[in-house]
Amino acid sequence: MDQSKIHPDQKYIDGLAANDSGVIEMIYKKFAPKVCMFITNNSGDKDQAQDVIQEVLILLFNQAKANKLQLTCPFDAYFFLLCKRRWLNELKKSDNKGVTIFENVLSTSESARELIEQSEEFDERQKLFDTMFEKLGEKCQEVLKLSFTLKSMEEVAAKLDVTYGYVRKKKSLCVGQLTQWIQEAKNFNSLKKH
Amino acid sequence: MNEERYILFDQYLQGELTVDEKDTFEKQLAENPELAEELETFKEMHLQLENKFGKESERQAFEQNLTRISDKYFKKKKTKVVSIQPWYYATAAASIIIIFGLFFFRYDQNPSFKDYNNPESAYFTERGVAEETLKKAEDDFNGKRYAKAIPLFETILKENHSPEIQYFYGISLVEESHYKKAEAVLNELISGNSIFKEKAKWYLALSKLKQRDYKACKEVLLTISEDFENYEDVEQLLEELN
Repeated sequence: MDQSKIHPDQKYIDGLAANDSGVIEMIYKKFAPKVCMFITNNSGDKDQAQDVIQEVLILLFNQAKANKLQLTCPFDAYFFLLCKRRWLNELKKSDNKGVTIFENVLSTSESARELIEQSEEFDERQKLFDTMFEKLGEKCQEVLKLSFTLKSMEEVAAKLDVTYGYVRKKKSLCVGQLTQWIQEAKNFNSLKKH
Repeated sequence: MNEERYILFDQYLQGELTVDEKDTFEKQLAENPELAEELETFKEMHLQLENKFGKESERQAFEQNLTRISDKYFKKKKTKVVSIQPWYYATAAASIIIIFGLFFFRYDQNPSFKDYNNPESAYFTERGVAEETLKKAEDDFNGKRYAKAIPLFETILKENHSPEIQYFYGISLVEESHYKKAEAVLNELISGNSIFKEKAKWYLALSKLKQRDYKACKEVLLTISEDFENYEDVEQLLEELN
């Protein structure tokens, strides 16, 4: 990506990734009031606003840690829209009574919309991955956890008291199982879309 | 599930295929978009796994910090003003008992060896001597296989009685709880004048700590110079011992 297109507000993303308390506090101070206002005006309460904000910030942290978040628009619009869309989804899920949405008009730039799409897709992929990971057998989960925590596969083999060859094969097959399931889910989704 | 395929993917990504095998595989990839897509997903799984486990502790730290800041911002009230009721006195009395209990409980909590045990990594072989035993000793030590490293160090020390090897040998002995031997080795370093002098004192203190000899541990700690690179650990441990 063209570095010059990155918005100066990238500092908020970098601060989140670095777990910088000053930056996190600043985000709350500057950007939380608008989100709270929107949620409390649209069938929500303060606790729900707190949860939505926290979920979105965790998503941004994860995305930034995966090096997949480069801000090309102001943080304000991007963050507000992410929170808003998440809240509207919550409302849709609980869909009990007719909910009236009071939107204040907010002009969204193309780049903000694109970024939001990316973040939501990142979130979906991660959730899908987590679901599939939980579906794996206990042994597979253990092998994968160790393989990605310890430094070498030799160490994993020693820890599990099996040979190097066995653990390598097992790891390939466990990642393979995940690959197969995710591939199937992807194919199914693209069928739905077309 | 196509087992062979995933084993091949893994070998390909680890760069373990021969030139011929690699060529054949890449040709297949070019001809078969489905296979290529599956390889992409396979790679994505690695990224997801790395993200999930490699950054787990960072994520936990972030979530904790975030919750704290969030609660502060939303001013979560943990205490409410209550009028004094009879049960209040009972509760107050109970809390005082609990506080005392905690106080004594805390008082009884001695610092433990494993809280302070962060041996530095050994890098013997970067200095030109690519000797096999040395390399193995380094690997075993860094991999925390101290029982294996000990005999290797003993072999090396017979030929090369260097303070550096002695130091790492001493740590390994402490890790394996061979205290007598360990302390002899460390004391030899302490009486010498190498750069491992203060470090050896620190590990002598940790050896005492591991044996729960808190008095001796403290005595050793007090001899460590403030120039020691991890002096803040010394101060912290001293404080916990007091």
